[in-house]
Amino acid sequence: MPAWPDKPTQIGKRTLRVDGRAKVTGAAKYTSDVQPKGCLHGMILRSKWPAAKITGINLSKALQIPGVKAAVVVREGSRTVRYYGEELAAVAGLTRQACLDALRVIEVEATPLPFVVKEKEAKKTGAAAVWENSPNLSKPKVNEKGNPDKAFSEAAAVVEDFLSTPVQLHHALETHGNTVSWTDEGVIAWASTQGIFSVREGLAGNLNVEQSKVQVISEFMGGGFGAKFGPGVEGSLAARLSKMAGAPVRIMLTRFDEALAAGNRPSSFQRVKLGASADGKLTAFELDAYGTAGIGSGSSTEGGGGGAEFPAPYIYQVPNTRVQHSGVSVNAGSARAFRAPGHPQASFGMESMMDDLAVKLGIDPVEFRIQNDPSPVRRREYELGRERCGWKEKYRKPGSSTGIVKTGIGCAGASWGGGGGGTKAEAQINPDGSVEIRCGTQDLGTGTKTVIAIIAAEVFQLRPGQITASIGDTRYPPSGGSGGSTTCASVSPAVLDTCTRALQELQTQTGIPDARGSHWLEACKKLGVNPLVVSGQWVKGLSSSGVGGVQFAEVEVDTGTGVVRVKKVTCIQDCGLVMSPLTCESQVNGGIIMGMGYALFEERIMDSESGVVLNPNFETYKLPGIADVPEIDIVLLDMPERGVIGVGEPVTIPTASAIANAVANAIGIRVPNLPITPARVLAAVAKIKAA
Amino acid sequence: MKSFQYATAQTIESAHELAGKKGAYLAGGNDLLGLMKEYLAEPDILVDIKSLPGLNTVQPGSEFWTIGANVTVAQIEDHADLSKTFPVLHQAATDVGSRQIRNVASLGGNLAQHSRCWYFRHRDIKCLKKWGTTCYARDGENQYHSLFTGNPCISPVVSNLSIALAALDARIIIQRDTETLRWSIADLYARAWDNPTAHNSLQPGDLILRVEIPHQDASWRGAYMQVSQKADFDWALASCAVAAQMDGAKIIAARVYLGSVAPVPYTVPAVTKGMAGKTLDAGLAAQVAQSLLADAEPLSQNAYKIPMTRALIQRTLLQLIA
Repeated sequence: MPAWPDKPTQIGKRTLRVDGRAKVTGAAKYTSDVQPKGCLHGMILRSKWPAAKITGINLSKALQIPGVKAAVVVREGSRTVRYYGEELAAVAGLTRQACLDALRVIEVEATPLPFVVKEKEAKKTGAAAVWENSPNLSKPKVNEKGNPDKAFSEAAAVVEDFLSTPVQLHHALETHGNTVSWTDEGVIAWASTQGIFSVREGLAGNLNVEQSKVQVISEFMGGGFGAKFGPGVEGSLAARLSKMAGAPVRIMLTRFDEALAAGNRPSSFQRVKLGASADGKLTAFELDAYGTAGIGSGSSTEGGGGGAEFPAPYIYQVPNTRVQHSGVSVNAGSARAFRAPGHPQASFGMESMMDDLAVKLGIDPVEFRIQNDPSPVRRREYELGRERCGWKEKYRKPGSSTGIVKTGIGCAGASWGGGGGGTKAEAQINPDGSVEIRCGTQDLGTGTKTVIAIIAAEVFQLRPGQITASIGDTRYPPSGGSGGSTTCASVSPAVLDTCTRALQELQTQTGIPDARGSHWLEACKKLGVNPLVVSGQWVKGLSSSGVGGVQFAEVEVDTGTGVVRVKKVTCIQDCGLVMSPLTCESQVNGGIIMGMGYALFEERIMDSESGVVLNPNFETYKLPGIADVPEIDIVLLDMPERGVIGVGEPVTIPTASAIANAVANAIGIRVPNLPITPARVLAAVAKIKAA
Repeated sequence: MKSFQYATAQTIESAHELAGKKGAYLAGGNDLLGLMKEYLAEPDILVDIKSLPGLNTVQPGSEFWTIGANVTVAQIEDHADLSKTFPVLHQAATDVGSRQIRNVASLGGNLAQHSRCWYFRHRDIKCLKKWGTTCYARDGENQYHSLFTGNPCISPVVSNLSIALAALDARIIIQRDTETLRWSIADLYARAWDNPTAHNSLQPGDLILRVEIPHQDASWRGAYMQVSQKADFDWALASCAVAAQMDGAKIIAARVYLGSVAPVPYTVPAVTKGMAGKTLDAGLAAQVAQSLLADAEPLSQNAYKIPMTRALIQRTLLQLIA
């Protein structure tokens, strides 16, 4: 069985991305760059009704538009659409303008139906029914442990609040989309995806084509965050248009489309009650929560965990708990898995109450967490982190910061799985010494090719630049979807196993006892004409799961204007054996920036009257810009003995909670709703003034 | 977008003739192309006015400075003498969009840009401003909307430069048919105050030629500030421009205008006139802020703009004596 080297020469080095040059020069071909011969543009007609009975769609005028080569309806016969933006039909043509013109002349017969787009309205009796046969509000799931009522009555301190988090949109910079060619020989799909094999399965099933005739390619992709596992309606439509037109068809969603029908993080509305003993031990917890996953209320979607539920009382163990969850349907696009599904919501509610309770008990919030957090890793991280960020000097009594612009500091913790498995790979060693590693994984943007090259270079004692990492093709040995922070922990052991076996085989075949490094060329030459191809797979013991992380946020709150600026985030993160600190830190940076967007800016805003998403663009769906990004200080706990663990998701979880706690520390009152907008800060400040 | 003809005009007369009543002038295109892509503007012809002679220069003068309509916002931002003479304009320019936007955005386009109301901009909503029957924002999502208006539409003016130029008492020179109009900034937006379908007073075919800013001697000071949610590249939630003639801390004359709170650059003449002869200090600034906002009519979600704008007015005024 292979093992990670004790004294690595490549692993753990700050290796630049092997495909960095290709990406910045534009040489890297993404789905929207692929230009198979005769490729047509494709576009989707979407419902203009938030709810309607569709009784007919007439494509004939669309097909008469010059340049239009094909048009299809999503589903034959009458049907009900349940949100503004649901797919109705699609066209393919020589130009984008021909498609746009065609979409405008498609005739849709529809009878509008009542609709409801806001959680609070959808919950009410008499609200428009999103689904005919079930109420909008699902029956609550209740879990009770111990005796919470008794525990609350005996608690030395109890805090309670009603908190909320918004629907957040994934908005990967590359939108969803596929370029698909469907001929008699089969289907080739260039997909922007987190799971080439799940796209293959989805397309083969939807199109009724053997899986062996479907090839999915995703050499480069621009982010997914959990919303890009299957082919999507758009992938199947591109394939059907391709078959009809006899030409490849590309459908990339627009930014507008992304806000409607490409997934989101469910909202949460949480009544949280938390109690502790006088010595600061958590004794009682109660949660009554609901949220919306759009029309897909409460259920999981592809990629897992797309429902509105979340873990509670999150990372803490409380002896007496009552937890109640329900999902509420609204006429809006379905949720999908979104970077750490459920965790940011869970963290925000629980960590907010942890801080408020610590304040009420007169215990330092970091100390309070160290007393109650069951994870020894996180307890160690809190101790490290508070030294690192200067907590003792910076933490002051809430609201005691003087002046108009107040400063505050806050913290929060997170947990994630991130294990690996189910991956095969093959190494091809050529007589000229060149090496190709093939693996049917895909790179979400996390640096998978670089990780593969580092490991192969480590085993063969070569440089990462000498390794060709080939991924993103269903002709390669299979790997799983890139979800759950599992890619690095799945691919790395498989590549180590493959390369270790390949080296042994090379040495056996050539009789050279150590073919590595300076002997490499000599050994490869001895292969003769044919290359050596060796397979390997993921093996146990090289990766693990279960990580803890803590973050500290420092903010400035302008109490005159309500504007919050994050000055610094300190992140202490456990992630096992680090392949390259550069790619790992890049994950942390991205997670923190995304968490900051969740804290201060991001929210899908629906209009009750018309049922549309009002902010389907980056002008009004606000994302952090470079000027908003704080100083980010990262400490990766060095625990190589744990093997490889994914880090993509855990690092985005506690950021918003830490920022919210820092804001409460600055102004002396909690803003219980995300995002923390100037309006909400000013409302909170007014409460203090009125009191 | 709807198909259109395209022409490049070499003279003001030909630009005017080519555009007719159904054409549109293309300068930076930031606003126009967005409107066209959403089918909110469907001109028959786009007349490129970037080559028009004399519209792309900044000229100092003893009576007034002239800035051509095609001068970019970035040029205004970068112009050292202009910035020194009119810091209020410089600061307003600096806060427009991103540098990429400022590089192509023109002065004329910034002043004539249309509403950013998300109901108006939505392709499938026919609001009052688009000749529909309802202002959806009134009872809907109105967090970015006006505190003051003379009509049922509550979409605010978002041109930073208009707020600064109003404070500078600038004149805007417009070609209308054979006539040359010389408007104040108030004239430019007057129609938007009481007409929900208008976002300014321009008529089809009107072409903004240049802006004239009265010369100010060293006794004048100015400041522009805005509050945005994001640190950069974001619209103002509220903005404030001040120009004042001062004798030490004593105000001789002052103009104060607010942006993003009304369909026009907003001021209350009685309040600003009343500032003359008074000493500018924190107390006066607070008093002025309070009085300027006295008639605000907040809606369900934009009441926060009142304390925000109050703080903003005070800070902008106090910059004059900082």
